[in-house]
Amino acid sequence: MTTERVHPNYVAIWVWLVVLMVAGLLATHLPLGKPAINNLIFAIATVKAVLVALNYMHLKSENWLIYALAIVPVLLVVAMTLVLFPDIVFHH
Amino acid sequence: MAAVSEQSAPALRGKIAIWWLIASEVMVFGGAVGSYIMARAASPGWSAEAAHLSTSMATINTFVLLTSSMTMAMAFAAYQKDDQRGVQKFLLCTILLGLAFLGIKAYEYISHITENAAPWSGSFWSFYYLLTGLHALHVIAGVVVNVILLLAAGRGLRTGYRIEIAGLYWHFVDIVWIFLFPLLYLSY
Repeated sequence: MTTERVHPNYVAIWVWLVVLMVAGLLATHLPLGKPAINNLIFAIATVKAVLVALNYMHLKSENWLIYALAIVPVLLVVAMTLVLFPDIVFHH
Repeated sequence: MAAVSEQSAPALRGKIAIWWLIASEVMVFGGAVGSYIMARAASPGWSAEAAHLSTSMATINTFVLLTSSMTMAMAFAAYQKDDQRGVQKFLLCTILLGLAFLGIKAYEYISHITENAAPWSGSFWSFYYLLTGLHALHVIAGVVVNVILLLAAGRGLRTGYRIEIAGLYWHFVDIVWIFLFPLLYLSY
């Protein structure tokens, strides 16, 4: 038995991913400071990851249990890094 | 808005199992990536070493992996339409793209090592080989799973919901690379 789903347009998503990849590359040539460029390229990477997760991994149409399994470890990793950042980066 | 009908119990169990695995992998990669970010932020000199990496090679590899994610999703769509030939065709494309990614990565490794940038050449290179090596191992695992599914489909066996399970893993590996690309090759 298969799951009946209205599929996203996988090719259109791929086009967006490629456009964002190029945008990330071009962003490194912008006349901005290093922190601004770094923030920009990681923001673009996050958008790409969300596009893949929502459309190719079908998180757009999943139930709360799958959502929790996907989001909780990401939040833990971000929290762990942020908590350790001041001590490791600024004290050593 | 997508509509989801009832799923079979094995399919749902399989999906929960793979998401559980992905959750644990997020912690593994997250720990390594978090360590790299903190170590690099505390050591400004790493930018000069990162400049030795080939952005063009990594860009080609990013394109290859993004395309493989699309073909993997199309394999799942073909399965849902009961199109066995489509499943085989898109699985084969995904496998070939995965092998292309590994080939380019191997070429990069050989280039760096011949330029005396081995894993023990400094902290940056240790992290580079750890992060990309760990990722490459996951690509190899994904290729092996896809080859098994392709062989099963070729023998007329039903691959069933396993296509979706394998796809979830493959897309996760793609997401990891989406972050490794700017982290190692683009950031200053």
